[in-house]
Amino acid sequence: MTAQIELAGIDKHYGSFHALKDISLTIDKGSFVALVGPSGCGKSTLLRSIAGLESISAGRMSIAGREMTGVPPRHRDIAMVFQSYALYPHMTVEDNLTYSLRLHGVGKAEARKKAAEVAATTGLTQLLKRYPRQLSGGQRQRVAMGRAIIRNPKAFLFDEPLSNLDAALRVQMRKEIRALHDRLGATSVYVTHDQIEAMTMADWVVVMRDGVIEQQGRPLDLYDHPVNRFVAGFIGSPAMNFMAGRIAESGNAVVLDGGAGTLPLARHVEPGRAVLAGIRPEHLVMAGDDASFHLTIGVVESTGSATYLTSPDGAFQLVQSERTTLGPGDRVGLTIDPVRVHLFDPQTGMRL
Amino acid sequence: MTRSHTPWFLLIVALALAAVYLFPLYWMYVTSLKTGSEMFANPPTFWPRDPNPGIFAEVWGRRTMPTFLTNSVLIAGGVTAITVILGTGCAYVLARYRNVWIDIGLFCVLMLQVLPASVMVTPLFVGFNQVGMLNYPRTAVVLAAAAKAMPFFVVLVRATFMSVPRELEEAALVDGNSRIGAFFSIVLPLARNGILVCAILTFMTAFGEYIYSKSIIQSPSLQPASVGLSGFLGPNSTDWSSIMAYSAIYVTPILLAFVILQRRIVSGLTSGALK
Repeated sequence: MTAQIELAGIDKHYGSFHALKDISLTIDKGSFVALVGPSGCGKSTLLRSIAGLESISAGRMSIAGREMTGVPPRHRDIAMVFQSYALYPHMTVEDNLTYSLRLHGVGKAEARKKAAEVAATTGLTQLLKRYPRQLSGGQRQRVAMGRAIIRNPKAFLFDEPLSNLDAALRVQMRKEIRALHDRLGATSVYVTHDQIEAMTMADWVVVMRDGVIEQQGRPLDLYDHPVNRFVAGFIGSPAMNFMAGRIAESGNAVVLDGGAGTLPLARHVEPGRAVLAGIRPEHLVMAGDDASFHLTIGVVESTGSATYLTSPDGAFQLVQSERTTLGPGDRVGLTIDPVRVHLFDPQTGMRL
Repeated sequence: MTRSHTPWFLLIVALALAAVYLFPLYWMYVTSLKTGSEMFANPPTFWPRDPNPGIFAEVWGRRTMPTFLTNSVLIAGGVTAITVILGTGCAYVLARYRNVWIDIGLFCVLMLQVLPASVMVTPLFVGFNQVGMLNYPRTAVVLAAAAKAMPFFVVLVRATFMSVPRELEEAALVDGNSRIGAFFSIVLPLARNGILVCAILTFMTAFGEYIYSKSIIQSPSLQPASVGLSGFLGPNSTDWSSIMAYSAIYVTPILLAFVILQRRIVSGLTSGALK
């Protein structure tokens, strides 16, 4: 795999605000990379820096082996899909699609031919003569995609492209974007605040917070081995439960604070150490006498395929695939496979 | 009052207000057609008994109105051209960049709007005199009036530019356009209606400009129609029907232009919605 986009030591300041802190990232050719994090984490700023829409304060970047630091967007040969789609309202769909081709001096006939091709792949053939305001949200989204793919760029940049769509359409477009990426053999960078989008679409997920890359890796690696408490809580839905405790004398169990119970561990940890135990809601198993700890139920939500049980204070959640007759106020015994218990340092939040 | 009555009530208020505002215009046209004695008749007549349309041709020739109106058009056209070209660029910069200096600049622009022409005219006269601009009095008036019209134009057009989403411009940049190219091919077409409206308002204001022209232009052959009109008002002038005929000729073209363009402007403003 050759690197298509390389970022080395990127810094970005807005006045006194340090938006990006020493970001280094290599994006392989043909990969689909998701930048994910809470709002204000710098993921959009990073994407806009790659596009050249933001100048960077320090660091170097290259696209397809060419040095791009300080190069204006028009010379970077990248395409971007914006959250608001940013379709040109005074142009027809066809003119929107061919805008970049016309700027690059492609002849009128050839531009129209390419627009027709792109329209066919994105299902816009009937809409070429319409104006953006006459299109539905999903159709506008497709035009924005079409405008990006028409000129075969070095990389596609997506800035939360699905956040304006309704839930059903979002799930569908998720698959379409991924399928398009695979068909074109493109390199894509996708910004989202929705970890489900990141997990389902990307080959490589970059979790950011406060202008720093917290962790990057394959989606399931992030799920299985989060490096710190933030990533553990951010990746996975519903979010991971955290319980404070202390390592038992034996070194292979966690005694939970407040006498809530004991969690078995699959490895030996320094006894007496204070820890934060992380347990994913879907990894808890109902148990009888051999329960590790007990939970009082506050809220029961059933979706048919799964049942979500939440503690009265809302701090603890578990997911069961079986249906249940439990109701508020009931106490359930729970156990967990020891290898699925995550341990974090209570002070630093780092994985132990 | 029930809700269904409110629109009717408001409509009546609107019509009454419109009648109050439009009455002087109506009175101007009616008076221009009246004879001297009918003008002062009590009770007044609301339609002339013996209309005299020949007064328009007579005033047109006697008061050298073609010269005056040509000057008015030249001055208003010059003011509009300078204001639109410079003001659009200025408004765009003020709309797109945000920092302390831009805020200070905007504040200064707004302060300029506050200064009345009658205060500015003396320093301007002295200044123009020093650089020899008084030899080109119409040009001097164009410059002075453009400076006066600029703040209003900049503030309004800036609001128009701010309504054009930044992302459109960024999309154009990524698509391969330069900043200037994106401005001309994306931003300007979308802001066109707002600029057009402000340009028309600027033209109409400049068409009626009086203070600078009166003070700076001495030669009657270079004066605009507004100054020409004041030539009627001598200490013992009573030729009211001629004055009204002059006013009618002066105002009617601009009025017609406004009525015709207004439909276009209003429809353009609503259909130009960006989303």
